[in-house]
Amino acid sequence: MSNKRSLMIRICAVLALILIAACMMVIGRGHTVYLDNKTLEYGGQTYTAPYKVTVTVKGEQVAKLYAKERGSADNVGQRFEMTLKVMQEKNGDETTATYQVKLPYKMDGVVINLPGYFAGLPEEAWLSEFVSLIPEPSAEDGEVPSADEFEMDLGDEF
Amino acid sequence: MKNNNSRKNFLSFLANNSVPILFILICVVCIPVSGFSPSYLINEIVTRMGRNIFLILCLLIPIMAGMGLNFGMTLGAMAAELALILVSDWQIWGIPGVVLAMILSIPFSILLGMLCGKILNMAKGREMITSYIISFFMNGIYQLIVLYMMGPIIPIKHSNVKLPRGYGIRNSVDLIHMRQCLDNLLAVRVGGVKIPVLTFLLIGLLCLFIIWFRKTKLGQDMRAVGQDMDVARDAGINVERTRIISIVMSTVLAGFGMVIYLQNMGNIATYSSHSQIGMFCIAALLVGGASVDRASIGNVFLGVVLFHTMFIVAPKAGAMITGDSMIGEYFRVFVSYAVITIALIMYETKKRKVKSQAGKQLQLEQEQEEAAANE
Repeated sequence: MSNKRSLMIRICAVLALILIAACMMVIGRGHTVYLDNKTLEYGGQTYTAPYKVTVTVKGEQVAKLYAKERGSADNVGQRFEMTLKVMQEKNGDETTATYQVKLPYKMDGVVINLPGYFAGLPEEAWLSEFVSLIPEPSAEDGEVPSADEFEMDLGDEF
Repeated sequence: MKNNNSRKNFLSFLANNSVPILFILICVVCIPVSGFSPSYLINEIVTRMGRNIFLILCLLIPIMAGMGLNFGMTLGAMAAELALILVSDWQIWGIPGVVLAMILSIPFSILLGMLCGKILNMAKGREMITSYIISFFMNGIYQLIVLYMMGPIIPIKHSNVKLPRGYGIRNSVDLIHMRQCLDNLLAVRVGGVKIPVLTFLLIGLLCLFIIWFRKTKLGQDMRAVGQDMDVARDAGINVERTRIISIVMSTVLAGFGMVIYLQNMGNIATYSSHSQIGMFCIAALLVGGASVDRASIGNVFLGVVLFHTMFIVAPKAGAMITGDSMIGEYFRVFVSYAVITIALIMYETKKRKVKSQAGKQLQLEQEQEEAAANE
């Protein structure tokens, strides 16, 4: 095999691997989607939360949300599909519909406000990034490895 | 005469397979004492087979090239851990995360494998101890990267990966979104035993690759180098290059194996996951009847079954016999080291015996020649 051909094959193999890696980064990006059934104030108007929303993702019921409640679901990829069974008022009729939401790649946790989403408001009104309110542990609480932790263990996990 | 021959054959069979026979005996004694149900035991063994076989198979290529048991496979494990830390921080979940980690581990593994191969070429005949020490040395570099470079130089975003001080990686990195994703995909249950079909398919593919590779030009070159480096060199084989390729292949495959291992475990013990992996994989291979210069796929499978059966039953059997489970814990670690030591001693003894027999044969031939000349 000539050197040129061999080099070409190697370059193609590297490019193929980079391409596969790029695809994996897109299709495997995980997001935690938080679904808020909370009344929303936007543009001087109030969008009231329905009495109950039952959320099903990939055939599995992930949350049953009454007003002021939040549920969550894990999603891999940027397209989030959910089936919502909405009951506007207590003992009222339930309507079922399937929705698809495009999730931003950069956000790990995405909060979707359901009343705002149902009202067809612009994305900025009903979609926001989840920010944890729990303070991060200080360095003193941290688990900085000590010299002992580098010692050989008994291999229990093996 | 016939009886004598069959007795000799039986004794040589015992001598050649003493380690697997010893382990079969240990398992036969320990299994009933441990009191584990057959379904639990089979489930555990099948899980551990899926977890470990890929890693152990990567040891076969350097053995083929006459480089002995590659303790340097730890380098591949470190490469896989670096890749998994990055993938975990980038939040790539499930099978794509596993595939991405495998791809990312390749450049690290190639780099480390080439370094290891070059050093081993300078230490021909002492490859095992050299690779063992290289793995200790590289562990220092790995810790430097993971403790000090990840954060300020290599961006790490998530606080569940990064240490609270702002740089460095936590002792344990959670792989919850990747946990057993390979094992669970296409898994089937047979009589309460979960069989990770996809993982076994990957193992099967690697077995087929090894069988095919042995027949290729490069595979034949490796075998020739393994048998006699001088003869191989005279035959026009680039011995040094062939040896480096074998170590690089082994390191890359060890990286893949470590990703499979860690996705099964579901978390990375950042500073210790890789430290003992080489030792346990080598011990399992030796338990299967392999030696420093000869190993087969069959040895890998037998070794994993026997070694892990001992690993599962020893603590419970130790607790039942002595009343202290720590004795069983120490017993299995002691056995792992002992098996490697015994195998190395047996290999060296056999090598010296063959050498001495060849010397005696030569002496006899010389004496006969001299006698013939005198007559």
